[in-house]
Amino acid sequence: MRSLTDNKTAVALFAGVTLVGALSACSSTATTADVGSAETTVPDATATGAEYTDGTYTESGNYTSPDGQEQVDVTLTLESNVITDVTVVGNGDNPSSKQFQGEFINGIAAEVVGKNIDELSVDKVAGSSLTSGGFNNAVDAIKADALAE
Amino acid sequence: MPSPSKQFDAIGAPWQIDTADPLDPEVFAAIQRRIEQFDRTYSRFRDDSLVSRIARTPGSYPFPPDAPPLFELYRRLYDATAGAMSPLVGRALEELGYDRTYSLQPTATRTRVPDWHEAISWNGSELTTLTPAVLDVGAAGKGYLVDLVAEVLAEYGVSSATVDASGDLLHRGDGELRVALEHPLDTSKAIGVVTVSNEAICASAPNRRAWAGLHHILDARTGLPTDRIIATWAIAPTALEADGLATALFFADPAKLAEEFDCQWVRMLSTGRVEHSADFTGELFL
Repeated sequence: MRSLTDNKTAVALFAGVTLVGALSACSSTATTADVGSAETTVPDATATGAEYTDGTYTESGNYTSPDGQEQVDVTLTLESNVITDVTVVGNGDNPSSKQFQGEFINGIAAEVVGKNIDELSVDKVAGSSLTSGGFNNAVDAIKADALAE
Repeated sequence: MPSPSKQFDAIGAPWQIDTADPLDPEVFAAIQRRIEQFDRTYSRFRDDSLVSRIARTPGSYPFPPDAPPLFELYRRLYDATAGAMSPLVGRALEELGYDRTYSLQPTATRTRVPDWHEAISWNGSELTTLTPAVLDVGAAGKGYLVDLVAEVLAEYGVSSATVDASGDLLHRGDGELRVALEHPLDTSKAIGVVTVSNEAICASAPNRRAWAGLHHILDARTGLPTDRIIATWAIAPTALEADGLATALFFADPAKLAEEFDCQWVRMLSTGRVEHSADFTGELFL
């Protein structure tokens, strides 16, 4: 891991965006589903043509909560001007900061890309319960009725 | 898996038990007796069960010794979900068509799901019902039965085993299992993989038990199927907890559940996005 020395602008910019997310999480209980997408283009890179150096960066951000000054640490990985990974660690001491930072961190969500189960080496698959017997027969019967009508 | 497997159907789903050595017929017979005993108490789908007797006549009913953990978990989850997850959704499920004969034909009637305190009282061994309450323990019952089957195995000295009741999976003993998280919209695909060892992973999704635009995961506060979440996974020390939590994740703020229970979780929203607990040890294909 490289510390942030050579490219403060990019990360500070992103940390700023992240903190807006964290603070908005305080004002509403909704999860901040849009904040931590896995593939987020660094906004300035395309606009200015700037090239960011690939690597992993960590920066701390401060904000003022009703209970005082709080800090979150943001670590992100840049590859070809795209953020490919984000980790946020909350350092809140008071209960409400812990709660909101926790909700924010847990709320990091992203679109998933399905992979073929056949191509994964797994022992088991966890999905909804398979049905047997009665339920399947009932569904078949209803389908048959629907076709007959 | 190199382990010998025993496959069978029980309580409306296919099961598989993997053990290091082939399962002794005597042990399997004991497992079947245990399942039958559980079904005779808790099944809403058979006329001769205790739950069906309770549905016909209000009163006080002593329950078998396996009941306290089940009712206690239901009560904790009822509180953690502000009443959304309730064992009292049985009548609403029947009215929507998920009934004993699997009519799958919704009726015009919609009876409000009663609050816990207006319908039932559990004193640790006896359930008192004040109205003809239709109990449905489907949200945690199968997971609990998985734990109970593992207990039977342990009684017979089989301490390393995987009990897979399809959707509810418990690993006990040596080794570990790599488990794919099935994509609810394309069951040939997985959204991630996680390794479990000496713990349970339970999944829940409405995709396989759906009919007439309805499905079987009801919010007790509305009596209607949920629609914001389309799949959940919970990893917990027991299948009872993991199964109950997998259902609760359809309704509750996950942070609140994680405060109350020792669990990891993942859930998929109807928008296709995925949320997970900060301590989730698996890999998601993001």
